[in-house]
Amino acid sequence: MKLTPRFTLLAAGILAATSLTACSGGTASAGGAAGAAPKLVFIQGVAGDEFYVSMGCGIDAAAKSAGATVNTQGPAKFDPTLQKPIVDSVTAAKPDAILIAPTDVAAMQAPLKAAAAAGIKVVLVDTTVQDPAFAASAISSDNKGGGLEAFKAIKGLNPNGGKVLVISTDPGISTADARVAGFEEGAKADSAFTYLGVQYSHNDPAEAARLVSAALAKDPDIVGVFAANTFAAEGTATGIRQAGKQDQVKIVGFDAGPAQVKQLKDGVVQALIAQEPASIGTQGVEQALKAIKGESTEKDIQTGFKQITAANLTAEGAQYVYKSTC
Amino acid sequence: MTTTQVKPLTAGTAGTPDRTSSLRQLMQVQSFQILLVLLAIFLVFAALAPEVFPTWGNVRQIIQNVSILGVLGIGMTFVIVTSGIDLSVGSNLVFSGVVAAKVMQAMGDAGWGTAAVGILVAVGCGLGWGLLNGILIAKAKVPPLIVTLGTLGAALGLAQVITGGVDIREVPAVLQDTIGYGNVPGTTLPTISLVALALILVFAVVLHKTRFGLYTFAVGSSEESARRVGVKVDRQLISIYALSGALAGVGGILSLSQYGTTAIAGQSATNLNVIAAVVIGGTSLFGGVGTIFGTVVGLFIPAVLQNGFVIVGVQPFWQQVAVGAVLVAAVYVDQRRRAAAARGHSSKTEGRKRLFGLRSS
Repeated sequence: MKLTPRFTLLAAGILAATSLTACSGGTASAGGAAGAAPKLVFIQGVAGDEFYVSMGCGIDAAAKSAGATVNTQGPAKFDPTLQKPIVDSVTAAKPDAILIAPTDVAAMQAPLKAAAAAGIKVVLVDTTVQDPAFAASAISSDNKGGGLEAFKAIKGLNPNGGKVLVISTDPGISTADARVAGFEEGAKADSAFTYLGVQYSHNDPAEAARLVSAALAKDPDIVGVFAANTFAAEGTATGIRQAGKQDQVKIVGFDAGPAQVKQLKDGVVQALIAQEPASIGTQGVEQALKAIKGESTEKDIQTGFKQITAANLTAEGAQYVYKSTC
Repeated sequence: MTTTQVKPLTAGTAGTPDRTSSLRQLMQVQSFQILLVLLAIFLVFAALAPEVFPTWGNVRQIIQNVSILGVLGIGMTFVIVTSGIDLSVGSNLVFSGVVAAKVMQAMGDAGWGTAAVGILVAVGCGLGWGLLNGILIAKAKVPPLIVTLGTLGAALGLAQVITGGVDIREVPAVLQDTIGYGNVPGTTLPTISLVALALILVFAVVLHKTRFGLYTFAVGSSEESARRVGVKVDRQLISIYALSGALAGVGGILSLSQYGTTAIAGQSATNLNVIAAVVIGGTSLFGGVGTIFGTVVGLFIPAVLQNGFVIVGVQPFWQQVAVGAVLVAAVYVDQRRRAAAARGHSSKTEGRKRLFGLRSS
């Protein structure tokens, strides 16, 4: 018989269906045991980012020692329109607790509130929402303090002062906004520095590179750039290298993924402000398990950060580098 | 030469002489097959997670999450039936939402009056971009891919100019409470889905049962032939792109209602998701063939796959792999059918009969 169109289409559908049954086998049976082990779901801000991978490592380790199971899900982009359907699907599956990094303070409010109303304990990790009253706990880095620390790092690298710029990700992300605010506060308080404002790279390294190139064309005497997240730091370094100003412009990055650490080793980036994602994850699981048992939880937890430079990278700084696998 | 081209192509459209078998026309062969694929996927997940997946609560949220894409899919189906493409829908949606949010913010109060103005503004903005697309395509003869690629960037850029890139989060509560998260009174059907369903039904009738729809198929089958038999091709194309734009405007106000924010950075893959759904649903990228019904089914396949993957705990990346496979298979089927028609072995109608085993000859 010839390969008819109908046959092909059905075959493709069956193939898709069977491939998913094949790869779901293990996790489905683990999640199927109702009642016994607490079921946690970790919803990342974006899948595949080392920050969330490191956080996931912390969550997995803490959950394993407590005898809980974790199902990790994340949108392909840091985008509330992609994250909301995932949250809705997770809510339908009724796990005991959700640990989530919300992608927008407004857009994720209603879906997460609905999850809490359905009896699921919600723990916000890293980012938050407009009114987190429904959440069992909100755990994040002290991002404003981190931003201020980033300014101090730039000041340390440029004692004479000059023009400084911030490359952030998207407006409206609570963590990134706080980092920018902390940096701005520090830069404006110091008369030696001129604050050129913030540009948004939309989590796209290529966009960050274009923004930095344009900023250097306008102000060729920029001395320092604070890149507020992983992708912004990657792109900023590219933009400065394109302009051939590696010696003049000092970059301080936030986060310490493998790419940033390599840039630090190569001397492209001069300092990194590292968060403690694994610690956020561990504490998130602790709070979630307390909430499931009905014990009281800490509503608001702030974790620290660490300055990593080429000098301390091989010593105590190493443990703060983010992981791409556990 | 012209007659042999026109004949099979008009036979492939709905509303031609054999109006009697309307059910079979509605379920044009590929969209019916894809419905079977959807059912198969649904049954697999239902077997894997019997207590969670096949519940109304879960199906309800899948329906709610495809509603906005459904509205965009209507316009995209019309556009692709004319062998065009509209890449600008996502940006157009964001732009319309941003302008509507700005206007509603300026009006201040959060009542229905403000909301009504916001709805009109959003649809008007969308219509404006659609008209621009249509005029550039029909009158200036710039290819649709390039025109809408241009307006994709322009609309998003202007949205960022208007807001400074900062999302507006002041959306009237009535919009969020009724359209965004409300249910149709007395049921648990989301209002947003009812809006989408109503538009889908209206425009399914327009595409398959009216002269406007017939002309749409005619233009897509052969623009030159349509022109020669007296169809005002330019006006038809402008109307269709305007329709796609206006529906993107509707999508803009629905998105504001659902997310409570303009989500400027979002929607970046919306255009491709909608195009994929239209193509999976059996609408030919080469024009002249397509159904609204197929598009709706095509939208549910990625949505159901994602929902199912999340529930059974599979990495979400697999969803893209599965959707990609279905997409390529759908286009392969379309290509084979076209090749068969070109060889003269069978017209589209005969091909359909053969697939159903109803061939009389």
